[in-house]
Amino acid sequence: MFNYDVFVNSLAELPEEKEVQLALRDLAAGTHKYCYKNVSALVSADQDKYDHKLQIRFGRGQVHELPYSIKILKTVERIPERWL
Amino acid sequence: MVYKDNREFIEALEKAGELVTIEQEVDWELEAGAIVRKVCEEKGPSPLMNKIKDYPGHRYLGAPLANYRKLALSMGMDADSSIPQIAAEYLKRTNSAPIKPVIVPKEEAPCKENIIIGKDADLFTLPGPMVHDGDGGRYLATWHFVVTKDPDNGDVNWGMYRQMVYDHKTMTGPLLPFSDGGKVFHGKYKPRGEAMPFATVIGPDPLSAIAASAPSPIPETEFTGMLMQQPVSLVPCETVDLEVPAFAEIVIEGEILPDVSLEEGPFGEYTGYRTSPRDLRAVYRIKAITHRHNPITTISNMGIPTDEGQLLRSFSLSLEMEKLLRSQGIPVTGVYMLPESTHHLVVVGVKAIYTNIAAQIAQTVFGSKLGPWFHMVLVVDDKTDIYNVDEVIHALCTRCHPINGIHIYQGVGTPLYPFLSAAERIKSVGPKVLFDCTFPLDWDPFSEVPSLVSFKNVYPKEIQDKILANWEKYGFKSR
Repeated sequence: MFNYDVFVNSLAELPEEKEVQLALRDLAAGTHKYCYKNVSALVSADQDKYDHKLQIRFGRGQVHELPYSIKILKTVERIPERWL
Repeated sequence: MVYKDNREFIEALEKAGELVTIEQEVDWELEAGAIVRKVCEEKGPSPLMNKIKDYPGHRYLGAPLANYRKLALSMGMDADSSIPQIAAEYLKRTNSAPIKPVIVPKEEAPCKENIIIGKDADLFTLPGPMVHDGDGGRYLATWHFVVTKDPDNGDVNWGMYRQMVYDHKTMTGPLLPFSDGGKVFHGKYKPRGEAMPFATVIGPDPLSAIAASAPSPIPETEFTGMLMQQPVSLVPCETVDLEVPAFAEIVIEGEILPDVSLEEGPFGEYTGYRTSPRDLRAVYRIKAITHRHNPITTISNMGIPTDEGQLLRSFSLSLEMEKLLRSQGIPVTGVYMLPESTHHLVVVGVKAIYTNIAAQIAQTVFGSKLGPWFHMVLVVDDKTDIYNVDEVIHALCTRCHPINGIHIYQGVGTPLYPFLSAAERIKSVGPKVLFDCTFPLDWDPFSEVPSLVSFKNVYPKEIQDKILANWEKYGFKSR
């Protein structure tokens, strides 16, 4: 059961042990499913390395067959403050 | 008969056998989308889904206009009207005088039955469906339109620009620079660093939706009146200086931000593919949601033919093209765009009175405002029935000279063309092709032009009449 998913054009966008900014989708069941969350995070191709399971999708929605794991370090606001 | 809202239209669909009411619970996640997709591929009746998982009180209407029977009904015509009959009626109405909208008070506008403003306006309180597996998000706006206004001259535009729910307050979507709304956003608001007010209208009456998808130069508020043959009723928004149809199901108000873009897509598109990949696109920040009691969210499911985007866009594009060609004095006998071509192939019938008239037709339509949306023009003579696919294919395969009859042009295209390379999509490259299926005028009609062998062409009229009069007596069924 995945906690989040992320769309990438290439797996190179997900380097191991390096902080990356990602637009995740929350996969928790319910009315808020698929809500986007911008985060700074660590990801790993080892599905057990971090607490949360991450599903990878490519640019046209194709699912990557191998699960990743993710550790969210902080949320990031990308919309300028004057519009919030 | 004019339907002031989708609820009256739903009754008409039901009476005509073009509605299936689903009372069992339907999941907003893929199930509703899959039902609509199958309906489109079977050209079937519209599904009205009365119970949506997680969203009590909300309903869906899928594929509201995805076949010609529904289109005829929306115009108040008999469902069995032929395509030429519907086209003639559309041309008659849209060549008449524009009819300005009327503004009604809030108390007379059902779309104001529920008003949610500010922090309580939450996009996840609406049942945005996950239309296709693999989409970038939940697409609340698939059969809808976005209302915007030119900041300098006040011109209002209604355009169908898809919108994906990004978070509680944000939607994202492509706003192509050559679309009417895109021109104003990219050309005026964005350079000034100003947000563009918008109102998304979900579940509009059928003719407002048709007007929003038509590429007419007439303002959609007046074009709708022409289609309705009476003014459309509008009501002012709550938080932005815009007006929306009073009888719409759901309205989302807000601003398109000038200085930020966020991820949108991928999405199953009208071409039948996911062509444009996920990318950074326009950001719609919401301020208010208003809706009717028990609102009906309309769902169009883009994919392989036929969905309403393909059908209506083909229909209106071809008829606007016919108006354009006639305005230039070109003796066209009709223009028809096949919905199955995902509005990429247009068939033009013409009385070829001078040589190379096909090239003039192609260059006129490719160079017009309509040009980016299609890339194939097939010109046939006035004896070919442009609505008869068999006749059109026969003309293409027998009259179009592979060297002299096919002409290639470079033009402007959309990034959604599946056959373009990634680099071409970025540059809005749009290769075009003309298939000239007319015999050269300098051929001698007796010694050089082949003679068509068909029932209509090689039998005397009295024989044809006799055969037709006796057809059922022979034991055949009339079609």
